[in-house]
Amino acid sequence: MSLTTAHSVVVPSTTSKRIAAVLIVAYALISIVPLLWIFATSFKTPPDSIAYPPKILFQPSTEGYCNLFTTRTRQTAEYIASLPPATSFCDEVTRKRNMVIAGPSNFLPRFVNSLIIAFGSTFCAVFLGTLAAYGFSRFKVPLADDLLFFILSTRMMPPIAVAIPIYLMYRELGLSDSALGMILLYTAVNVSLAVWLLKGFIDEIPREYEEAAMIDGYTRLQAFWKVVLPQATTGIAATAIFCLIFAWNEYAFAALLTSGTAQTAPPFIPTIIGEGGQDWPAVAAGTTIFLVPILVFTILLRKQLLRGITFGAVRK
Amino acid sequence: MKAWPKILRRGPMEWTAIALIGLGFLMLFQPFVLELYSYSFITMLIGTVMFIVVSKFPE
Amino acid sequence: MIDTKTSPLNRAAEAVARSTPSRLVKRVTGLSDRMVAWLFIGPTMVLLLAINIFPLFWAIGLSFTNYRANRPNEPVESVGLRNYERILTDPDIWIAMQTTANFVFWTILLQTVIGFGLAYLIDRKFRGHAFWTTIILVPMMLSPAVVGNFWRFLYEPQIGLFAYAVSFVSGIPPTEIEMLSNVSLAPWSIIIVDTWMWSPYVMLICLAGLRSIPDYIYEAAEVDRASPIRQFLSITLPMALPFIMLAILFRGIENFKMFDMVNLLTGGGPGSTTEVASITLKREAFEKWRTGYSSAFAIILFVAVFGLANIYVKALNRVKQR
Repeated sequence: MSLTTAHSVVVPSTTSKRIAAVLIVAYALISIVPLLWIFATSFKTPPDSIAYPPKILFQPSTEGYCNLFTTRTRQTAEYIASLPPATSFCDEVTRKRNMVIAGPSNFLPRFVNSLIIAFGSTFCAVFLGTLAAYGFSRFKVPLADDLLFFILSTRMMPPIAVAIPIYLMYRELGLSDSALGMILLYTAVNVSLAVWLLKGFIDEIPREYEEAAMIDGYTRLQAFWKVVLPQATTGIAATAIFCLIFAWNEYAFAALLTSGTAQTAPPFIPTIIGEGGQDWPAVAAGTTIFLVPILVFTILLRKQLLRGITFGAVRK
Repeated sequence: MKAWPKILRRGPMEWTAIALIGLGFLMLFQPFVLELYSYSFITMLIGTVMFIVVSKFPE
Repeated sequence: MIDTKTSPLNRAAEAVARSTPSRLVKRVTGLSDRMVAWLFIGPTMVLLLAINIFPLFWAIGLSFTNYRANRPNEPVESVGLRNYERILTDPDIWIAMQTTANFVFWTILLQTVIGFGLAYLIDRKFRGHAFWTTIILVPMMLSPAVVGNFWRFLYEPQIGLFAYAVSFVSGIPPTEIEMLSNVSLAPWSIIIVDTWMWSPYVMLICLAGLRSIPDYIYEAAEVDRASPIRQFLSITLPMALPFIMLAILFRGIENFKMFDMVNLLTGGGPGSTTEVASITLKREAFEKWRTGYSSAFAIILFVAVFGLANIYVKALNRVKQR
């Protein structure tokens, strides 16, 4: 086969490459606009955010972030004039709108709930998942295929349908609206993904390594701990990030099963309201803070994404 | 396995089960006849149970 | 009886055991492989039994009763199969199913076409394709609820960016583009966001499919002077098909239970034009508190998803062999 053929499909021609590049870049730019708009809105003032036509150039302001973290009450101009000078930027901005800061908002506790529940459930799911994946990978487990299918199918269930009996069960056990209950539930949903993904990763580690270690006198547990785990670190890290993203993003269970103390950020963010409707800069600020960790993780994970979304079936 | 009748082999039975599940879905989703919708659940249930049972049959 | 734990002989034996090489320890602490297997798999199974299977059987039990969760002290009566009968003959729920079907159909169609198209273009391997692929993949990793909520702002008739962009292109006044409150546009507002989020998902799986096709097949086709269209139809498409099916099945399962976005964007409205099965179920279970009735509905959805999941895993295993 000649290397100079310009029309070989195996090596796409320059023209087709150029057309592809233009289309892909155009799609990427359009699809990223909503996210850039969230980011931009978070730095707008409320009047700027609802201006017509939508403002692309604007004076950046952190008012949205101030409003996100505080609750405010409207006061008379005389009352505000009688106050001592503003101590912080947020004070100043709020007073310009004839309001004073009344206290912290619920955003921070909800965000902390999200952190606790996401990290707690991820830790449990990866811990259980690693053990189970090793079990399925290395031992002849009776009915292994059925057990694995059963594990996977639990993840596919409609959340609202699962939530009905869980709601009743948690009410009986006193786990309603508790972080522990949410951690248990998210662990159960995530462990299926963890088992499937990690089984794929552990299958790739040659059995010979452990066998050699066991001939050297290691027990099975020691071989698992000292030989398999260090080899599986990348896989475990990728799995953990996938579990973390799921638990972080989850909305349906959180919206139905939590209402106060254990509420996470996703059901809380849509309820942020200001005067006369939704306070969009504050919502955008909350959304931005909420999304940044995911963006970082997505970039870290980009090589493992395919595995993650196909439960480990498709590897590049 | 010799004693196993040919018609009960896994392959064709599995496809029958998949067809039943698919049919159940079409019946659940179609906007034309209410009766078909009413019997969609039992069709899907039979298909699913059959799929699980049949997957234990030899190839 | 001699206390074996404190006997001097035993203490000496322990000291010896501590200093012996691990080879000998194995006999003392080594569990059999069978034990290890159950020790490792057991906890996961127990958790899933407690959080998934036990509640499922509870729901099956409830589905034959008229239980109401907001009135726990009322006597619970068995109603046999009546809940199932009522759901499966209720025209309103039938319509909710059709609404769901409508969403599943359009989102899958659009996502497959866009996703496969993107994958085909990225497979041209132009310079910088890895970077742009990562950019395209970002929306699918985000929380559908949090991002979907923000789309309400983009969809605002006058001040929203979406309405502004559409009116800029089409010339329709931006106040008339009421994506969320217009009966015929509301379903599309959800289809657009879902397609925006999940086309990259289909793209990623299709890309894996395209890359799994060995080069020599194309080289052979080239030798046979097969036209590019012919090559596409007889090589690319059939060989990528298992992957496309996998993506379609998974998106089908996910969109069948679609809840987050609909709940936040339209909440099922205007009227009940976007009331999908999950929204109906939520209303019955957590607003009207007809727990027995909604459990029966949940079981019907369970069976549907379970059936699809069976086929999905079969497809997964088929793709895995490649």
